[in-house]
Amino acid sequence: MFVKRAILMTLLLLISLSPSLAQDVTTITWLTLGWPSEALIEEFEARNPDIKVEAEQIGFNDLFAQIQVRLGAGSAVPDVIAVDVPLVSGYALRNWLLPLDPVFTGDEVEDWLPAAVNAGSYEGTLYAAPVSTSTQLLFYNKGCFDRIGMEPPGADDRLTWEEIAEIAQEMTFDDDGDGTPDVWGFIWEQMVRIYQLQALPESLGGDAIGEDGLSVDGVINSPEWIEAFTYYYNMFNVWNAAPQGEEFWPPDIFETGNICMFVGGPWNIPRFAKNADLEIEWGVSRHPYFADGVPATPTGSWHIGVNANTENVDAATKFAQFISTGEGAELWWREGSGDFPAQQSVLALFATEAEFDELPMSYMRTAADEATVNPRPRAVTVGFLEYEQILQNIFQDIRNGADVEESLNLAVQRIESEMAKYR
Amino acid sequence: MRVSRQFIPYLFLAPALLLLIVFNLVPTIATLVESTFVLSLRSGERVFAGFANYNRIFNDPVFWKSFQVTIVFSLLVNPIQIFLALCLSILINQKLPGIGLFRSIYLLPIAVSLNVTAIVWGLMLDQNSGMINGILTQWGIARQPFLHSVDQALWSIIVIASWIGVPLWSLFILAGLQNIPPPVLEAAKIDGASAWQSFTKITLPLLRRVLAFVLVADTVANFLMFAPILLLTNGGPQLSTNLIMYETYRRGFLYGDLGASSAMLSVMLVIVFIIIGVELYLLRGQD
Repeated sequence: MFVKRAILMTLLLLISLSPSLAQDVTTITWLTLGWPSEALIEEFEARNPDIKVEAEQIGFNDLFAQIQVRLGAGSAVPDVIAVDVPLVSGYALRNWLLPLDPVFTGDEVEDWLPAAVNAGSYEGTLYAAPVSTSTQLLFYNKGCFDRIGMEPPGADDRLTWEEIAEIAQEMTFDDDGDGTPDVWGFIWEQMVRIYQLQALPESLGGDAIGEDGLSVDGVINSPEWIEAFTYYYNMFNVWNAAPQGEEFWPPDIFETGNICMFVGGPWNIPRFAKNADLEIEWGVSRHPYFADGVPATPTGSWHIGVNANTENVDAATKFAQFISTGEGAELWWREGSGDFPAQQSVLALFATEAEFDELPMSYMRTAADEATVNPRPRAVTVGFLEYEQILQNIFQDIRNGADVEESLNLAVQRIESEMAKYR
Repeated sequence: MRVSRQFIPYLFLAPALLLLIVFNLVPTIATLVESTFVLSLRSGERVFAGFANYNRIFNDPVFWKSFQVTIVFSLLVNPIQIFLALCLSILINQKLPGIGLFRSIYLLPIAVSLNVTAIVWGLMLDQNSGMINGILTQWGIARQPFLHSVDQALWSIIVIASWIGVPLWSLFILAGLQNIPPPVLEAAKIDGASAWQSFTKITLPLLRRVLAFVLVADTVANFLMFAPILLLTNGGPQLSTNLIMYETYRRGFLYGDLGASSAMLSVMLVIVFIIIGVELYLLRGQD
């Protein structure tokens, strides 16, 4: 009896193991954000039956620490990583990423936006392949404009920050009279991130970092920065037109009608357009600028990199190539992140596809055009991670009432002290 | 036979000692070693650098700021927690009707993890939608920024830490109180000692050992305070809650600067040792 059972168990065990024995499948791990990735992975696996992709999806704030710890320790996993483009030089300097030049054909490289190729390269070598890029628009709730008896701006109008300040104050309503507004006039989608806020000082002629790519004294505490962030401070603290406190994701609040205007990415266009339950009427206009300054728009987004220590170079580079070029890139744009594509062939679809002929999806064409208006990438520096994280703390402080000049000087002190190790 | 019997206690101690070595001693030594190396950014090689990391952090104003915050935090939170824990344990040591139920209720915070506590307190202290500000507005008091104010954030963290700390430490003190033989207190009463006299002359001296343990353990626990900072303030606003433990995490795991991170940990280790030494010396027994 016992022998029979033992034989049976052994057989069962062998059967359960057999698929992995029968076929040699390489599994690669893709460290990424919570984007809908199933369609892309399915298609890739169908084309490459010998490769299996496991998406390890983590939160935006955890991604950088994870990369830092795992790649820093020389781990072979994850094989493929989502790279926020300003971090490319820091990762490349540390030899964490595989040089990708041999992977791509000349046509593939030419199809990418030149700025995106530059941003993914370090000292002339491509370390992260462009997947997406970005721009920013002003999203507004038409109901709020009706309520204050004002005509909303058209898709090609560009309001000044001064106008935004005035309108935002009028659009902040405390309907239940408890002393806290229920409807806020304005907010930045990424309210404490340099990605979006850099456009403020840059509209006034400020810079993001010194010429050596490391120094910030006299740059991020320059008169332009102080003026720009005094505006930012006033929005939250003086005009009380934007909510303070914890960071949150404004599109969620915009959909419920509790935020009248926000500056945000074009990924919100399909989101709002496809939301059948959305009760508000909305529109977009161009990215605001200071009346005394010039329009400047944020740009840059996600690239894909391959871990220099991966044990599956072929499979990993194949996947990186799939998501960043041709049909894979198009699929990722349609079914995946919804971010702006970095491939000119995919970008061209905005102009030709009927889907973008009508409102509100036609706002994507507005965005595609806005992406060409003085796009300003984030600072190119090997210490971007420290730069970004420290500024994020500082912006959060200013948003919650800290003195602007004092805070920017503290940022200088902290960033300079971190940059010392790169000198 | 005799020799093997001598080893039996060590055999029983071995599992605990092994865990202590693997999880405490080895990491401590590894940290001390790591603090003398720098990572060459370009080649990824570890290069021996002597005291370079220490030199770097000692010249770093952010390190000194978090050092200062950590000391202020410890000087505030430890006496507050121990004083409240002592009061609470005396209260629940009274034989009053319903005291059993009260004991269970006040012990509840210990059963909730620190992370959950931090998140729930974070929601309650929120500036716009928090319950506490809701109550304050009902009373006609202006909304407070709590975790977003330089003046209130550290105090908010102290409140959150004490929410768990006070009941936890009072449990230890309660055990000490219940170890005091009742005849001693009765004899004092018969001899005409007032309640205050019997507290200061009998209860406190007999609690000395327990208090010494609580003081040391509380100091260490608060020096290692990390989760509420990570979850609620990220060291802000303006570094006002940037405890060394958080700065260490930031350097090591966010910026990948393990050398500076290990150097900070090593400095902290020395300071904790000194403080504990002083505490044990001050509370040393004559017996």
